[in-house]
Amino acid sequence: MEPLIIILESIIIGALVGFGVGAGAARMFHAPTVQGMGAFRTLGELNACEGDSISHFSFGLGFLFNSWASVVGAGALTQDVEHRIIPNWAAATLLWRNKKVEQTLHNPKKMAFAGAIVGMIVVAVMNSTAASIPESMRQVATEVLVPAADWLINPIMPIVFWTAAMDAGKRTGVWGTVLGGLAHLIMGNAVPGIVLGILIGKGVDDSGWNRITKTLVTAVILLFLLSGFFRGFDVELLHSIQVDVPQWLIELHKFVGSEVK
Amino acid sequence: MDIRTKGFWYSESAFILFVACLSAGIFAGTHMYYVYHVGAFNEIAIVALLEAGIKGGSFGAAAAFGASFLFARVLEGPLVGILDIGGALQTGVGIGIPALMLAAGLTAPLTSFPLALLTGAVIGAAIGLVILLIRKYTINSSNSTFGSDVMMGAGNAAGRYLGPLIVIAAVMASIPVGIGATAGAAVFYAYKKPIAGGAILGAMIMGLFFPIAK
Repeated sequence: MEPLIIILESIIIGALVGFGVGAGAARMFHAPTVQGMGAFRTLGELNACEGDSISHFSFGLGFLFNSWASVVGAGALTQDVEHRIIPNWAAATLLWRNKKVEQTLHNPKKMAFAGAIVGMIVVAVMNSTAASIPESMRQVATEVLVPAADWLINPIMPIVFWTAAMDAGKRTGVWGTVLGGLAHLIMGNAVPGIVLGILIGKGVDDSGWNRITKTLVTAVILLFLLSGFFRGFDVELLHSIQVDVPQWLIELHKFVGSEVK
Repeated sequence: MDIRTKGFWYSESAFILFVACLSAGIFAGTHMYYVYHVGAFNEIAIVALLEAGIKGGSFGAAAAFGASFLFARVLEGPLVGILDIGGALQTGVGIGIPALMLAAGLTAPLTSFPLALLTGAVIGAAIGLVILLIRKYTINSSNSTFGSDVMMGAGNAAGRYLGPLIVIAAVMASIPVGIGATAGAAVFYAYKKPIAGGAILGAMIMGLFFPIAK
């Protein structure tokens, strides 16, 4: 009984997830006019496959092995399912018959339905099979794709975004550099900070210091303070400059549920 | 606005629908993990945070990590034009919110499949609405796009690095796999196809015959 329930629930979940991911991915190509959903790296990777069906398929396939191993081993599907496998395979199936990306990959309606079908199959198969994928293939996927993807996220993407921020003008360069460095310290990746820096820099360039840009800066500062606190950056900072952590700070961390070492 | 971006599938109400669908699926995936121990939509390390709470520890880490991601991405999403699924929905809705609910002793949304779908959909719709509201009060009411063009350009440019990175990673994994990836990338380039696909296929084919020694 239980395997049947798992398959049925997975089909429903896969369809819902695939529908949203497909439509969101197609809408990314029309951002910022249209609000998209996905990730900058997903957009970059979809573009890297240049509308070639086989490339989209093999890119998704590479991540399938890693993801499959992860769900068989730990029950976790990995974020690759929604960031890579579903969007790339939905694109591959659509591009198989029509090579024009404007009519396929960039079309939210077609991508939504293709994504739903891909999602149903992928999620159901992955969740229900404690499958035996060839160990050697899984290992290649893990040892080749994972480091390559890690390098893309860090340090390639921070560098690309950083240079883009510096090329876009003095104000974006300064804000991008400051927030990028802080974001890498606090969040472990500079991209979110650089993106916010570009946002503030360009916003002020285009419309000056008005209510919107001031609110934005306040929200960003609040965001950095909060995520710094919740990730224990304050305690780590005190440790690294060899200052004892005051008891009230430890209590405060305990109060919101995080342990201080 | 150009003619190609009109109609329901490009509209703002459709965005709310898409976020609701995706969140319903992700939240129900966490329900499956909670009940059957399979199907959570996240990396092992992040799911482990939730698992630590389920196994009798504190949900604090999962809740704080998930909630701060959700907050950051909801703020960033409308301004750059792309909502990050991984941070906002998979980590925020799939890990952070369930951890908050479980910490508060609320287990029903995670034990019942229909209730999980409904909870996820409601949370997703709320997130979609918040994003559109932020969008309305920032981008639409000013003459600035807040540098989205710069970020889109950088996002597109980053993808070009992937092919060479895969070849380098393959070369570092083992000699046969490296040769396979190099040859695959070269063949794909010669036939005017993106080299990332060729590099992966070449690496996997060679890896099947010459497994990487552990």
